[in-house]
Amino acid sequence: MTRNFSSKIINALIIFVIIIQFFIYFLNQKPLTENYSKKTITVENFSSIVLSNSGITKIGSEKLNKIDDNNIYLEGKSYLENKEYKIYGKDIKINLNEEISNSNEPVEVINKMGLLKAQSFKNYDNDGKIFFEGEVEFVINK
Amino acid sequence: MLLINKLIFSFLYLFVFFNANAEGYVKAGDSLIWDSNNKSYTANGDVEFKNDKFIAFADKMIANYEERNNDEVFTKIELFNNVVIEFEEETFKGNYAIYTREDNIIKLVGDVSIESPTRLLTGSELIADIDNNKRILNSANNESLVEVLLENNAND
Repeated sequence: MTRNFSSKIINALIIFVIIIQFFIYFLNQKPLTENYSKKTITVENFSSIVLSNSGITKIGSEKLNKIDDNNIYLEGKSYLENKEYKIYGKDIKINLNEEISNSNEPVEVINKMGLLKAQSFKNYDNDGKIFFEGEVEFVINK
Repeated sequence: MLLINKLIFSFLYLFVFFNANAEGYVKAGDSLIWDSNNKSYTANGDVEFKNDKFIAFADKMIANYEERNNDEVFTKIELFNNVVIEFEEETFKGNYAIYTREDNIIKLVGDVSIESPTRLLTGSELIADIDNNKRILNSANNESLVEVLLENNAND
């Protein structure tokens, strides 16, 4: 009778310990993921390649700040280059998920037609549209 | 001394070469949109466009282009509101203009005028054939076609 009772207690303890282990495992996993995604990563003299609607786009900057999984900020002199255009600017924000890049700093764009200078830009890569705001000058090649 | 002369000559040659190759420009006061899917540029606000034929001013411009031999060239230019086009000694004015590169024809509509050093003509539609040096000025009615001789001509 006593042995039977002890075995039940041991079984209950084992089950309890297993449940505690699950809790510990679950609680350990969740905060780790949150902390990782909120962390800002900064890299200096950065260059990389991004696959987007325009194909392969090479990006680079004096300093790259990873804001979160979908947003990066190219601080200082920065560029985006692909087969369609070369954008040279400063302080460019990129939303990788929506494929939008923009900057409120003066920008120079070289494409097959010529050299474009503007005060700011917003590039909707998915739609194939680039908006240039303010005074714009586009010198056309031959 | 000979080397200096060569350098100066090379510099002048390069200067002339690069300027000769600059076909034109687009300037906009407010914004410019490059739509690579539809192959067009839309310029807004005090727009100025220059090519090897003429210089144009308007409030808005839509320019279509196409790819030729790995280059992109404008094929159609549309100008909206307060359109002024300067071609050699002539000035065309209207509310809307369309230029097609293929036939080198400028068509203007809406309160159109064509001004040269000697005269001013007004109407409702102007077709300027640049290659054949031909101008056709149409009017909505007989009264709207006006020819004015300018002072330079009157003194002749």
